[in-house]
Amino acid sequence: MASSDERPGAYPARNGAENQPPGDPETMKTVMIDKGAAMMQSLKPIKQMSLHLCSFACYGHDPSRQIEVNFYVHRLNQDFLQCAVYDSNSSKTHLIGVEYIVSERLFEALSPEEQKLWHSHDYEIQTGLLVTPRVPELVAKTELQNIAKTYGKFWCTWQTDRGDKLPLGAPSLMVSPQDVNMGKIKPGLLKKRDDEYGISTESLKASRVDIMGPERKNPMADYWVHHGKGLAVDIVETEMKKLAPFP
Amino acid sequence: MEKAVHSSTKNGPKVPGEPTKTGTSMVDTAASAVQSFAPINQIHQHLCAFHFYAYDMTRQVEAHHFCGHINEDMRQCLIYDGPDANARLIGLEYIVTEKLFMTLPDDEKKLWHTHEWEVKGGFLFMPGVPEAIQRQDLEKVAKTYGKVYHFWQVDLGHQLPIGLPNIMMAVTRDGQLYPEMIKETGKQFGVSMDKERESRAYMKGPDHGIHPLANGGGKGLTLEVREVDIKPVESVPRVFV
Repeated sequence: MASSDERPGAYPARNGAENQPPGDPETMKTVMIDKGAAMMQSLKPIKQMSLHLCSFACYGHDPSRQIEVNFYVHRLNQDFLQCAVYDSNSSKTHLIGVEYIVSERLFEALSPEEQKLWHSHDYEIQTGLLVTPRVPELVAKTELQNIAKTYGKFWCTWQTDRGDKLPLGAPSLMVSPQDVNMGKIKPGLLKKRDDEYGISTESLKASRVDIMGPERKNPMADYWVHHGKGLAVDIVETEMKKLAPFP
Repeated sequence: MEKAVHSSTKNGPKVPGEPTKTGTSMVDTAASAVQSFAPINQIHQHLCAFHFYAYDMTRQVEAHHFCGHINEDMRQCLIYDGPDANARLIGLEYIVTEKLFMTLPDDEKKLWHTHEWEVKGGFLFMPGVPEAIQRQDLEKVAKTYGKVYHFWQVDLGHQLPIGLPNIMMAVTRDGQLYPEMIKETGKQFGVSMDKERESRAYMKGPDHGIHPLANGGGKGLTLEVREVDIKPVESVPRVFV
């Protein structure tokens, strides 16, 4: 089983019609228990997410497949961010993965094998693909300048773009839009996003001309661009090291 | 038995990096005031449980789940290595009812694990919520299946999330989890898992019993990365962005 597998066959719930996972609406009892619990629990880690970014990503084993992504970002320090990734910004959304973002300094200390799994962010910021909804450009500028110099690692665990009603298969390594034909975002996808947010990616480019990428872009990042090969993830059966019988 | 490898943000390595500069944090403050965080606002529940690696039961991790309902039959959770503000985001979990689990293709089912013993054994709990209220929800969780990926091997002391994702599994019978780890967590959160086990004896697992293909189907699971051919990057028609 691999992240690059075609749709698994004979899966009854997929009709592509609407993208909601199968399942009944929440009962009132569930809602009440949830609300009651939420009042008693502090939920501190998730309250640390203080920035919403919207951009695009491509599948690492097939970069011609592109998706809109919404990141909810927690900046732990000047060099590291951790993000929950969703396929839309509404309450009816799917958690599709996690992205980690590191500064150039932290990235350079990684092994080359590890660096292959990461992507750069400068192109998507300079071209206005990555936006900070509702935050004026002038206010966002410092963060955009920071993030333009970073590298990201994004695992996607739910391929909703191909109609999966439930998260199936292996996680996919994702890559970022890049300045090659295959890495450019399809106009239809871009327009849909821009219309939804009432923005114009094109006009953002002008305000971002002075945003610079990393001092020295590492050639191990964006591996597919420089080496012409994608990266797929396989799930492999093996022996489990055990302390007791399982299951 | 091997020494417990118990992950906790109290003792774990700090994430490397300079402290956040004022100019940067000001953007985040402004953003959090005006932006919508609708997906995050769906998260209403904190569950603490234990996971082990799907190829290595000896490596066990305390996992703090922050969950939201997509609908009555499905939850999606962010997993952190602790309950505090500085906790590291180490993975995610999807939780589905038996009804949805049964619609999965057979070779998908092995990636999912059952929650019956995690709940009935008292190992999974909601910090801060009185037991009687917890049970109203946990009796449902006992019947569900979960799919967990961890992306950060904090139990190996990794300062950054390097390497490939790992499928994780959960406890299915006594003797699997390190007693010292369970005791320490119980003490930290003021819960008595033994007592809870008695109170949860009435709970039932999936109506059709634990599916034989779930929990790895009896096998260990690991991930590998592989290079694949892609079309030449300039071969697609040029679009202007």
